[in-house]
Amino acid sequence: MPGKTKLSVGYGPNIKTINVELPPSEPRPWDTVDDMTVVGTPQPRIDGPLKVSGEARYTHDIALEGLLHAAVLRSPWPCAKVSRIDVGPAAKQAGVGAAIALVGVGDKLIFAGQDVAAVAATRPELARAALASIIVEYEPQPFVVQTRDAMRDGSPQVHEAAVEERRTGADEPGAERAQGKLSGNVRPGRSQKRGDAKRALNKAPVRFEATYTTQCHTHSCLETHGVVVRWNGKKAATVWASTQSIFGVRDEFAALFGLEPSKVQVITNFMGGGFGSKFGANASGTALAKIAGDLARAADKPVKLMLDRAEEHVCTGNRPDSIQLVKLGATNKGKLTAIHVQAHGTAGIGTGAGVGRNAASVYTKVPDVLVESADVFTHAGPAVAFRAPGHTQGAFAMESAIDELARQLGMDPIDLRLAHDAHPVRRWQLELGRERFNWDARRKAAADMRARNTRVRKGVGCAVSIWGDFGGTEARVTIEIGRDGRVVVKNGVQDIGGGIGTVMAQVAAEVLHRPVEEIEIQIGDSKLGPGVGSGGSKTTSSITPAVRNAAELAKAELAELAQTALEVNSTKNLRWTAEGVSVGRQTLSWADLCKRIEGEAIVAVGFRARNSAAHPRSFPGFETPEIAGAQFAEVEIDTWTGEVRCTQVLALHDCGRVMNELTLRSQINGGIILGTGYALMEERVMDPSLGVMLNANLEQYKACGVKDVPEISIVLTEVISGNNSTGAYGIGEPATIPTAAAIANAVGDALGVHVRSLPITPAKILDALEQQQRASQGGTK
Amino acid sequence: MAKRDGPEHDETRGLTRRGLFRSIGAATLVAGCTKEDPPLHPESRAVADVDGAIGLTPTPLEFVLDGQPQKLEVEARTTLLDLLRLDLDRTGTKLVCDRGACGACMVMVDDVPRNSCMMLALDVAGATVTTVAGLGGSSQLSALQQAFVQHDALQCGFCTSGMLISSSALLRRSAGQTLERADVEDAIAGNLCRCGTYPHVVDAVLSVANGGGGSAHNVVLLRAKPSTKSGGA
Ligand code: FES
Ligand code: FES
Repeated sequence: MPGKTKLSVGYGPNIKTINVELPPSEPRPWDTVDDMTVVGTPQPRIDGPLKVSGEARYTHDIALEGLLHAAVLRSPWPCAKVSRIDVGPAAKQAGVGAAIALVGVGDKLIFAGQDVAAVAATRPELARAALASIIVEYEPQPFVVQTRDAMRDGSPQVHEAAVEERRTGADEPGAERAQGKLSGNVRPGRSQKRGDAKRALNKAPVRFEATYTTQCHTHSCLETHGVVVRWNGKKAATVWASTQSIFGVRDEFAALFGLEPSKVQVITNFMGGGFGSKFGANASGTALAKIAGDLARAADKPVKLMLDRAEEHVCTGNRPDSIQLVKLGATNKGKLTAIHVQAHGTAGIGTGAGVGRNAASVYTKVPDVLVESADVFTHAGPAVAFRAPGHTQGAFAMESAIDELARQLGMDPIDLRLAHDAHPVRRWQLELGRERFNWDARRKAAADMRARNTRVRKGVGCAVSIWGDFGGTEARVTIEIGRDGRVVVKNGVQDIGGGIGTVMAQVAAEVLHRPVEEIEIQIGDSKLGPGVGSGGSKTTSSITPAVRNAAELAKAELAELAQTALEVNSTKNLRWTAEGVSVGRQTLSWADLCKRIEGEAIVAVGFRARNSAAHPRSFPGFETPEIAGAQFAEVEIDTWTGEVRCTQVLALHDCGRVMNELTLRSQINGGIILGTGYALMEERVMDPSLGVMLNANLEQYKACGVKDVPEISIVLTEVISGNNSTGAYGIGEPATIPTAAAIANAVGDALGVHVRSLPITPAKILDALEQQQRASQGGTK
Repeated sequence: MAKRDGPEHDETRGLTRRGLFRSIGAATLVAGCTKEDPPLHPESRAVADVDGAIGLTPTPLEFVLDGQPQKLEVEARTTLLDLLRLDLDRTGTKLVCDRGACGACMVMVDDVPRNSCMMLALDVAGATVTTVAGLGGSSQLSALQQAFVQHDALQCGFCTSGMLISSSALLRRSAGQTLERADVEDAIAGNLCRCGTYPHVVDAVLSVANGGGGSAHNVVLLRAKPSTKSGGA
């Protein structure tokens, strides 16, 4: 019942008791006193056997009777008007079931890769071949694809009028629509403000100023975006989608075709990666569900539309690039007084995917802060949220500037951070990292190599992250306990690779004292009840409390049956064990207990309540805990060739209660490896004269392979906050935020000069060394 | 079983040729990067000479797939990957880049791991092809597959079948020798994983090659627990 209760919360040895008020029907959150037997242990994922045998069916793999394969004709021009279009010839090609135009005469296309026409045919190669017969004439127009060019006066304007912002569930939680007025191609976005940063900068005795740039980074999910649409009559459809949000797909698909959402079934049994790009039925730069739905109607057959690799790069989103001017003010003694960041970045024709913010929020002890950000429109595919949108760019600029200022002041960069960060867990992480990474000794060794001007240099760096527990309350998890003893947990959530089904099974197993392998998990289908979109690192923190709460309700019903059977006064006297339920020496086995269920099964539905506590600190602007993280990196550089490798990363993270140590490790590894590629290798290359992406493939767009991966160590600083009934937070995004910044700082330590541009390629390293040499020859320091 | 209706010639000649050109590019590349040349080289009869040419009508093909003999007809332009996925329902083998850059489509052809998107179906005439399904079904996993599950060497799972093919080929080659991390890294260097499973894949393969648990976990979990002395925040 609604209750006030005391919880024992904290981190490490810092435990305290807090009072919380719980909503009705909410169980007392697991706190530091509860001993878990299944939750938190390393559990192999329950669908592993299906994935390693190739039996798991992804959207790509769906085969249906009569299925047609779609292909889309895309604009070859970055900016053009359509003066003629005729899809008639395509309709006559072999195997073609339908051909449709997606633009009309007079329409303006504003990026190379935009939808023009589509075909569905019996084989993918026939569909692609039929595209060649479509007649389109274009009138090319001036365009701009480079961010700095687009910011200049008089450059071709991408949007003439206000831009409709597309928001998705992967956007930064709480991000409101940007209101700024378009000026040329620049539209100011949100700003973060505390005090008067400009005035404080003017007064500061020590000033530091630098511009940091980051590249455009594509999600490059291995399973490309795609859907299979099958109409069930005119008013209902089944949609298989490679998505991070089953219900987002359902609602958008229903809206696109004017259907009742309940008449659209969306299925995502397995999906091959999203990283923020797979929300909604359509992708950011291609209306794939609309196209597949229209083709399926026109052909009267189910249609599969899976993008190819080049399409995946150019029209399904990316992380915007950024140009960030960072100004810091400080006293001579190393007290930071002001932070001012002006960030510009291009989301192509889109907006709102984050171009560099948030990082300054870490430094709450700095009195005057202003972070301004603006979208710059270019004639390129629209960006979309990408694993910690805005944070990775922001962390690179802010954490680099902190290191450079520390160098200018002759301070240790960890000390400078500690002096301005009030989050006790992040402070603890920095101290732990300093010790475990052998920071002081390695910094000395790096300084020694610099002094001796060795060919091969090593260096170390660190950087921090900020995130929050953004778990939502919308999911409804159903648990069924059958008379036959079966336990089934159902929810329409999708597993994007984090392994949500496995932690759901663990939580149910923990509550019911059943073996994990006897919990049957059904997920990945909108018919299984409201789930949650996997964005904002909130899947585990939204779903597991709902599982626990459902399981507790079901258990309470079982307890009443046991009370009667065992003739005890109160259910409180019952002991639950792996064998069943007992009182004194009397035990009722699980099977016998379940036989007493009236009807077929006990069915209970649970949901996550609103936040109940934000220990030890809340995320700025929210009543939810702030999640802390810090990473340390070591690099090795050949100063003759500029070749750079990240050799080691130590990651220290808080993810609330650890739910599954094994899958958690996988996610942290994944964040670090993505961040390493971002730091050193990956970059979308646009041709400024043709306006097209030059490396829309996986051989020239360089993601990390196994040999690019550093040796990774992980320290989990568990925090128990009492914020939700299981105490889970998320880790997917926090784990990738600080990596590139830590690597950049390690490069700075190795060279004695900072490389202010990502990716840190050999060419940029040689450049930095040359400038350093010139500066020292020129007599300046 | 996989005999498809071929498109009618007159209407689609141009189209078929287009497909053939595309396949020729792929075949030439494969020839450049592997020891043996593919059995068929259709270059010489690419365009004009229609009589007796391979490519304009489906051609008979026999090979062994996951232990079962196959007898079917395929068009010359059909890649091995398309044949497996579209005609033979081997969807465990994935299409990711379609140009030899990622390893998701790997299968074993006579014990050599090959990117099936870079081979024509007709290239495997007479060969033995093993896909992930041939390594073991979900209820009778091989030791390597089990190790992948135990070490969580998969996240979304889309690269996993390719990783398994590369690493099982390594285990066959090394035939019981002790392996180093670098050996496994060499073997899976052509397999791209966007979720970042590499460290766990290496752990899994080493555990099978060298026996035992295999991996140094490098994880420390600092629990929130009152110390025996006193708490206090
Ligand atoms: S799909 Fe064959 S190598 Fe990528
Ligand atoms: S597990 Fe997702 S790509 Fe490797």
